[in-house]
This record gives sequence, structure tokens and C-alpha cells, in this order.
Amino acid sequence: MTGAVVSRLVYRALQRRVLQSVLFVISILAGVALIVGVDVAAESARRAFSLSLASLQGDATHEIVGGPSGVPSSLYRSLRADLGIRTGAPVIQDTVRVGAAEIPLTLLGIDPFAEAQVRQYLAGASTATVPGVEGQALLRLMAEPDTVLVAQSVAARLGVEPGDQLALRTARGRRNVTLVGIIHPANELSAQALASLVVADISTAQEIVGSPGVLTRIDLVLTDAQVLADIQGSLPPGVVVRPVESNRSSLEQLSDSFTLNLQALSLLALIVGLFLVYNIMSFSVVQRRTQIGMLRAIGATRRQVFAGILLEALVLGVAGTLLGLAVGYVLGGFLVGAVTRTISDLYYRVEVQALTLTSLTIAKGVFTGLGASLAAALIPALNATRITPASTLRSADAEQASRSRADVAAVTGIVVLGAGLVLTQFQAQSLLLGFGALFLVLMGSVLMTPLALLLVMHLVQPFLGRAIGTLGRIAPRAIARSLSRTGVAVAALSLSVSVIVGVSVMIASFRGTVTTWLDGALTADVFISAPASGLLETVNLDPELAVQLQNLPGVSQVLTARDVPVLAPDYPGLPPVNLVAVSDDLAERSRRYLWLAVPQEEVWEAMQAGAIIVTESFAYRRGISPEVNTLNVLTDNGVRSFPIVGVYYHYGTDQGIVLMADPVYREHFADPWVSSFALFLTPETQSAHVVESARRLVADQGLNVQSTGELRTQVFTIFDRAFNITAALRSLAAVVAFIGVLSALMALQLDQKRTLGTMRALGLTSGQLWRLTLLETGLMGLAAGLFALPIGLLLAKMLIDVINVRAFGWTFSFLVSPGSLLQAVLIALTAALLAGAYPAWRVAHLTPAEAIRNE
Amino acid sequence: MNSIYVNKQVLWFGLIAAVIAILVYGVVRVSSRPSQPIGAETIVVAVEPNTDGFARAIGPWQWEFPRDHGPHPAFQTEWWYFTGNLTTADGRRFGYQFTIFRRALTPEQRDSRSEWYTNQMYLAHFTVSDMAGGTFYQEERFSRGAVDLAGAEVSPRFRVWIDDWAVFAADDTISQMLIRAKAAGFAIDLTLTPVKAPAFHGDNGLSQKGPEAGNASYYYSLSRLETKGTVEIGGGEFAVSGLSWMDREFGTSALSAGAVGWDWFAIHLDDGHDIMVGQIRHQDGSLEPLFGGLLVSPDGTTRYLTAEDFTITPFGSWRSKNSGATYPAGWEIELALDGDSLRLVLEPLLADQEVLANVIYWEGAVRISGDAAGYGYAELTGYAQPLRGLI
Repeated sequence: MTGAVVSRLVYRALQRRVLQSVLFVISILAGVALIVGVDVAAESARRAFSLSLASLQGDATHEIVGGPSGVPSSLYRSLRADLGIRTGAPVIQDTVRVGAAEIPLTLLGIDPFAEAQVRQYLAGASTATVPGVEGQALLRLMAEPDTVLVAQSVAARLGVEPGDQLALRTARGRRNVTLVGIIHPANELSAQALASLVVADISTAQEIVGSPGVLTRIDLVLTDAQVLADIQGSLPPGVVVRPVESNRSSLEQLSDSFTLNLQALSLLALIVGLFLVYNIMSFSVVQRRTQIGMLRAIGATRRQVFAGILLEALVLGVAGTLLGLAVGYVLGGFLVGAVTRTISDLYYRVEVQALTLTSLTIAKGVFTGLGASLAAALIPALNATRITPASTLRSADAEQASRSRADVAAVTGIVVLGAGLVLTQFQAQSLLLGFGALFLVLMGSVLMTPLALLLVMHLVQPFLGRAIGTLGRIAPRAIARSLSRTGVAVAALSLSVSVIVGVSVMIASFRGTVTTWLDGALTADVFISAPASGLLETVNLDPELAVQLQNLPGVSQVLTARDVPVLAPDYPGLPPVNLVAVSDDLAERSRRYLWLAVPQEEVWEAMQAGAIIVTESFAYRRGISPEVNTLNVLTDNGVRSFPIVGVYYHYGTDQGIVLMADPVYREHFADPWVSSFALFLTPETQSAHVVESARRLVADQGLNVQSTGELRTQVFTIFDRAFNITAALRSLAAVVAFIGVLSALMALQLDQKRTLGTMRALGLTSGQLWRLTLLETGLMGLAAGLFALPIGLLLAKMLIDVINVRAFGWTFSFLVSPGSLLQAVLIALTAALLAGAYPAWRVAHLTPAEAIRNE
Repeated sequence: MNSIYVNKQVLWFGLIAAVIAILVYGVVRVSSRPSQPIGAETIVVAVEPNTDGFARAIGPWQWEFPRDHGPHPAFQTEWWYFTGNLTTADGRRFGYQFTIFRRALTPEQRDSRSEWYTNQMYLAHFTVSDMAGGTFYQEERFSRGAVDLAGAEVSPRFRVWIDDWAVFAADDTISQMLIRAKAAGFAIDLTLTPVKAPAFHGDNGLSQKGPEAGNASYYYSLSRLETKGTVEIGGGEFAVSGLSWMDREFGTSALSAGAVGWDWFAIHLDDGHDIMVGQIRHQDGSLEPLFGGLLVSPDGTTRYLTAEDFTITPFGSWRSKNSGATYPAGWEIELALDGDSLRLVLEPLLADQEVLANVIYWEGAVRISGDAAGYGYAELTGYAQPLRGLI
């Protein structure tokens, strides 16, 4: 009989501890998993891009590159014959779309004789039929027209075998090539590197994508500084030699702002988790007051108690962190698709073959997981050391203390918030500091919520009492009384809802700004361009096409734009400059300028005389102002300086654009191609008809012909896709918050079991208890929702004015819709009510005897 | 550390979680191996060497110079082969080999928009033997015959080159040829003056390499070129003079099935005679009866030597540490002509003159003694690997 009671007691105790342990582990797990998941996705994308660059560069240390006109073929000969450089390789390279699915891959044109010095994966040992030519496939590659090699993975993806034909689509049309061999990568990494390559002889590549006499670049393996100096001395104007490392890192940073934003958002989830862990540990200490008091009475020191609590947190933290790493890795697999899609849309084409889990990612997860566990347990552990054997008898101690601590927290909060706001004034370009400030502001605001909760509960108590009666008075009091736990739960919920508010307002403001901008920017009726992903792909279209388009019925004017990367020697650490040369100004009237050095109606005139205008992001990243107003660009004739007469708003790319008049561009670059066309129609013409006839005209090249409406839709599709991940993370943060609130409320209700049991015994019906519990949680949810509004708006303001400016160089208007605010309050309320439902159900089903029984 | 608040259950929870996490991590690590340098083995789909469509050495060739010093792109293979023995004023001896090979990948040059396209590939071997220093210098180069990287031409003037290695005519009549080549640690700059007219091998230059029709090459030599210039090794420059031999061959698939390699000797005798003798070795140990030699008199008149006119008897052996191949270390050559006989003993001036290129062979300077004295060059192929299909 006694044995059964004891075992039942033990079971109960364990059950409660297990539930807490599970909640602790889940809180840490969720936070760590989000951080690791986002990091894995971002790192995998970055690594895949880095590998694809590395596979293209091989062992090259330097490269000779030029502007849009490329590098003259004859330079390669003179390097070999005149300078005696043996370790160089000529390259002709471009993006092609392969097979029926038009998968974008890189066509890499190489000279097999030169490759062994630079890219070793092509120089596998096999029987040579021609001395020096490694294998028959390389022989055929050089000897036969239109032959290519691909890696096994690419062949499998395209469903082809050696001997099969492959359709390659370029902006110049379709071309069928024969697969003459398979490159078998020696290891997984090379496999990843080769996964987006189609390798051809340099002559084949030149026939398909190149121009006569022009190389894309010359790769060099240089170890001797003197040789480098010799090369520099011998280069024609318009061509430079540079270390590949600097180029690679400048390209890799293209997507940095985007991924850093995601990573910061994932950190928010951990902060929510931190509150929960704090809540759980506090609760666990309160629960064991008697036990701790007894231990102190039999001789345990404060130090031992402190260490014991921290050790418990550490063990649970380790479990949560390790599981978080595992779950995060899996989550990364889900996120990577969305992340790479957007990176490909906005920055560069990237294919992720394998997820990357770097030790840095693991370190981040471990550091944040264990750090959060210990930090959150620190205050409860300190509290535990204050427990004396005598004080255990007075149960209200802790709550009394928490009330006064709410004041301290609020004061601390004001200081932290102030510090955060001050921090935004420092290092005006640093994105990391921007996020630091953002977190301080958030933390500061959240620290104020317990006191705010207390005040609100005091305020509503009389009104609720009058409206609902006794229950209306009990509920706010109960919340105020258990402030150490309700305060934290409400803070956590406010925090996550404010993230929802902040991110939603930011996205809506951005979308609104882009809508207004597009209305002004898209003045033409029909747009024709090639499908290109990211910023790094240059499309070469025949300018003759403009004449044919002009002849289509209904077309009144055809404008061309040339979109090319050019080198700006003054900014070696930044990616190449996106130069757009337009044949006429599309949007002179409607364009909005940050500043202008000439009257708006004279901008085009100034541009025709050689001036340029640049976008806001471009100017922000390079510190361009009315005082710093020239840009040096490497042209075919060497470095030339262009005056900047204006900076305009543009949201097409965060890397920024330099706009130049076409005649000025052609004067400086021997580049025959154009990149896109814009058609203006005669007044009575239906754009659908012109779209139809233009599509027929360019069917072979696979060009996109879009009406203004279709282009708008496409822009917003990409826009929404870019924010899909942000939105998903926002929801995940909400889920984490929900779990946390659930755990806090459950703990709260379980803690109140005796009180509630007593109420039952005193005559409260189970229906009344239901209502009481839901009223309590509803009140908390509502309070959290209301607190979240100002915090969320502050967050949005900071995201727009600090983070976006620093990350992307964009400014946009602050647009708030009342509907989204109401929605946020409803989310908080619903989350709280849902979280309260289970404890309410438990409480309602308690028999008084069970509830009052002493443990 | 006191663990009073860590109960067993919490510990197990942590432990199990840790084990799961480590297992997952393990799988991850296995599936993405740590970084290694980018590298891949190229496994390729084999195609049989194809001689279809190429011109073959079948009928007599209408020789015309300087045209025939230039390339014959319709034939698959062609070479310009220079070897020579040089001495400084104080008697320090050097040998050199400078060869540019041409190889056509296809019989026809197709039209292309690309200046990089060509069906002609070039390959060069350049060696210098330093007898006093006991060092054999060598370098190999390849290039496509496009973008001026490599090529052969007679118009406007004779020139054959890869990068900055070249042999070219000093004037339109090719009264002199210049060889300039600079490799890592050694270089030559030589002026060669032919003292005899081109000497044609076989049947007026049609040199049969096997019984099948077309299994032959067109073959002539400038057997004696007085040579002056400089040799550079290890930073030192030496003014030298001596004699060179130029061999020119073009053809398509010049070795029969069963042939494993050849031994070839170019001999300058002090009395003004030049002799080429050679033999093609078969897998079964026999010699190809159709391959012979050439005797060039001091006045330039030539006499074809059949396989019956001479015997080549190797003696001694030298084993290469680099390739593991064993080569003869000397030869006794007996010529029997019209009842007269001439016995020559050939010995390498340096044991290790093995060319470690994509094709491994021995090509080195030899001293001649016996019934007559002189210097020459020996070429020994097929000792390290069978040669068929390689050139």
C-alpha cells in the first residue's frame, strides 16, 4: 500500500520534471534549429557558388580580364611566346540553356593543351592517342565540331549518354552538340564543382557564344611577382590582370546582405527561446523551494546549489543544442531550395548539390544554444542561492521579489533601448552594428513588458470586475500575482508578435514603394529580353533585331539597352559595376532622384555629353555624393572618368546600376551587342498583338517578350519569392513563441492547481474554471498583442531606416495598414487562447480532492 | 561540481539526444567529405585511331623546295627533326635535339568562325646533352596550330614554331636555317648551313616502313649542316660549332602491326661521308626487311642501303631509373658494299639521354670509332612502351 503511494508520488514528480525538461529542450532545439537551418542553407548556397567559381578558376592565382569587349586572343600568344609564361589558359565562357528543360549551365571553352597547368580535373590519366592529349574524348573535343564533355551528374540530370545530342540555347539561337565523353570526378567536391559545367574546346565555345578574336579571360598560375609586373607592363589598354581571390570574394559577397538578414531573423527565434528557458528554470526553482531549503538545512552550500541548477540547465541545453543541430540540418535541406532560388533570381546562378555543415555553423549553434541555456538559468540559479531553510516556509517571497524586479527590468529596458537607439548613430555603414542596435531596442522594449503587464492588469481589473463579475477580478489579479512567469510569457509572446508586425510592415512598405517605382519606371509597352538569372550573366543580342522589331506593325519606337559588368578600379573589393547603356531615356520624366546636379529635363542631354547617373544603392555602397561625383571605369581605351550628375531611386537590384547613354558607351567600348529592347506602340495598338508578332520573330532565340503588365507580374513574383523565406521564418518564430507560451501557461496553471482546486472546493463549477483559465490566457494574449504593436512598429522603422539602408542601400516609405496591426493582435490572442486550452481542460477536469492533495 | 539536481532521467535524456545527434552528424560527414583540391579523372569513350581520309605515302613524290620544307597537312604525321654534335673552342662537347612534330586530328580543315579552331596539333621535344657536366636537359611542348601559337609555313618564308621555339630560314632561298629555343635552364641559338643537297631515302624519298601499300613515309634529310651559335646551360653561355642533321618525314600510320619500335642512327664521319642506318624491330624479335639506310658521299651523291647491306649488333646495356627501360649501351655496325666492308663502333657520349616525354625514348649523341671516326646521333624507341598508335 505504502509502496504504491510512494511510486505514484515519484511518478508524478518525474512526470512534471520530464514535461519541463522536454519543454526546455524543445525551446533550445527550436532556436538552435532555426539558426543552424538558415546557416546551413546560406552556407550551402555560398559554398556551391564558391565551388562553381573554383571549378571555373581551377588553380589559377590571377586572371586577365577586360570589359565587355573581352580580352584579345592574340594576348594569349604574346604571353606564351614573348613573356615565356607557360602556366596560363585561355577561356571562353558563357551561360547556355541545355536540353528541353533549358537548364542553365556554364559553357566552359578551354584549350586542352593549356588546361593541365590550371584546371587539373580535365587532365586525368588515360591512354593518349596524340602525345599530350589525354584521351580520345579530348581528341574528339578538339577535332570535331560541336562536341562537349560533361560530368556524370550532369549527364544523368540531362538523361544523356556519350554519343547523344544535346540542344544548347543561347541568345543567338539553338545549337545541337554531341556529348563525346564523361568527366568522372575524383571526389564529391569536384563533383559539386563540375555539376554546372558543359566543357567544350575553346573553338567550339567561341563558335557558340563567343566573338571573333575575343577571349572571356586568361587564367594564370603565377608565383613570381616579377612575372606579374611583366604582364602588367605588357597589357593593352582595357585589359587588367588581377588576383582571382579578390574577384571571387567580391562576387561571393553579392548575396551577403540577403543571407545576413535571414541569419539575423533566425537569431530572433533563439531570443524568444531564451525567454522560455528562463521561464522554465524559474518555475523549476520555485517548485523546489522546499527541497532546496532542506538541502541547505542539511549543509549544502550556496555554491553547490548554484552549480547544481546551472548543471541541470547545461545538461538540458546540451541535449537541446545537439538535437537542434540535427533538426537544423534537416531544416536547412528544406530552406536551401528557397534560398538558392532567390539568390539565383537576384544575384547569381547557383546549384546546391550537397548541404554544407561547416564547423562555424556548428559552433554558432553550440554557442547560442548553450549560451542561451546558461544565460537563461543564471538568474533562477542566483535566486535559488537566496533560498534559506527558513524562507521556504513563506511561499510568497519569490512573487514579491518579482514585482520589484519588474521595476528594475523596466528601468534596465529603458537604458538598453536608449543604448540601442544611440548605437544606430555609430558606424553608419555597418550592417552588423545595425542588427546589434535592433536587438538592443527589441530587448529593451521587451524588458519593459512585465511592468507594463502589471500596470495594465491593475487598470483592467475594475472594468473586468464590473463587466464579468468575480472571475473578471480574479483573472487580472492572478496574472499580476504570478508575474515572474506571466511576465516572461507575455514578453516572449510580445516579442514574437512584434517580429511578425515589424517584418510584415517592412515587407508591405517595400512592396508599396516598389509598386510606385515600377509605375514610373515601366513607361514602354513591350519588353524583350533573354532569360538570364542573376547579375553575372551577360546576354548578347544582335542589334539588327531592333530594325526588325521597328518594322512590326504598331511599333512606333524601339529603344535598346546594353547591360554589362564593367570594372571600376577604385572599388576593387566590390563586385563589378552593372552598367546599363540606353539608346534613349525611358523614364526621364517619371524617375525620382535623390539629388541632381542638372535640371531634371536636362539629364538626358547631360548623359549624351558623357555624364552618367547612378542608383541609390550604387551611390550608398560607394559613398557617392554631390561632392564625390565621378566614377572611374576601365574602358577599351584605359581608365576613363565619368561625371555623375544624379542619383536616382531604383529597386531592381541592391547592387546598383550605372546608367549611360548608348553613344557614349559605344565610344568607349568596342562592343557590338545589346541586351534588351523596349518597344513603344502607336496609340491605337493593342500590346497583345505586338507581343504575339514579336514572339514569332524571336522564337528561335528563346527570348522573353513581355507586356508591361506581364513584366510587372514577373517582378512581383520574384519579389514575393525573395520574401517567402522571410515570411516563413516569421511564421517559424511565431511557432517557437507559441510553444513557449504554451509551456509557460501550462506551467502556470499546473502551479496554480492547488489554488484552483481550492476554488473548486469552494464551489466554482468546472465551467467557471474553464472560463477563468481562458480569461487569464486571453488577457495575457491581448496584452502581448497590444504591447507588440509599438514594438513591432519600432522594429519595422528600424528595419526600413537602418537595416535595409545598410544592407541594400535602399530607402523606402513607411507604409502601415491598420488591418495588419489588427491581425497581429488577433494572432497573439489566438495563440494565447490555444495555448491556454489544454491547461484549461486539465483544470476543468480536476477533482478538488486530487487538486488539493499535497505532493 | 555537485550534481544534486541532475537526476538520472535528465541525464539519460541528454545522453540519448546526444547519441542521435552524433549519429546524424556522422551521416552528414560521410555524405559530404572534407575538402580536397579540385580534381577529377577523365574517363573517356574510346575511339579507334582512324587514318581514313588522310593522304598516304604510296606513289613517288614530286619534290620541290622550298615548298617541301613546309607542312603537308593532308598527311597525318610530319616532323622537322634536328640533331647535332657541337663543341666549344676548348673542346667541351654538347649534343642537342630539336624536333617539332605536326599531327593532324582530321584529314580536312573545316570552316570555322573561331580563330582557335584547327585540325593541326604541334608537339616539340628539345634536349641538350652536356657531356662535361654529365647532364641531360629536356623539355616538351604542345600546342594547337592556331592563333599563331604554333605552325609551319614556307610562305612568306620557311618557319616552324611552337611559342618562342622556332626553326626558320635566314633568307628566301633557305641558305641558312636558324634554331632558337629557350627552355627552363637551357637554350640554344644556332645557325645551320646545309653543305649538301637534300638526300632522299628509300625510292626517291618514298621510304617503306612495312609491306603494306601506304605503310610508308616521304623522307628526306639535310644530312650535313654546318652549325655555329651558342648553347646556354645553367646560366652559362658557350660559343659552339659542329655538325647537325635534319630529318624530314611525313606520312600516315607508318608502322605495321607487330612493330614495337626502331633503332635509328645518323652518322657524320670525319671524311665527309654521312650515313643513316636503321631497323624496325618486331614483337617476335625479327627485323623489318623493308627498312634500310642511306649513304651520302662528301659530294652529296646518295646510295640507298637495303637491310642486307648492313648489320647492327648492340652491346652492353643501360637501365633507366626513370622509366625502368633497358637500352643497349653501344652498337657495332657492319656495312658490306660491293665487297668492301666498313666496321663502326658507336658509343653514347652520355649514358642517360632518355627523353621522358609523353613518349619515352632514348635520343643521344654518340662517338664513332672503328674503321672510321666521327660523331652522330642514335634514336631508340619502343624500349619503354610499344610505339604503335602513339605517333
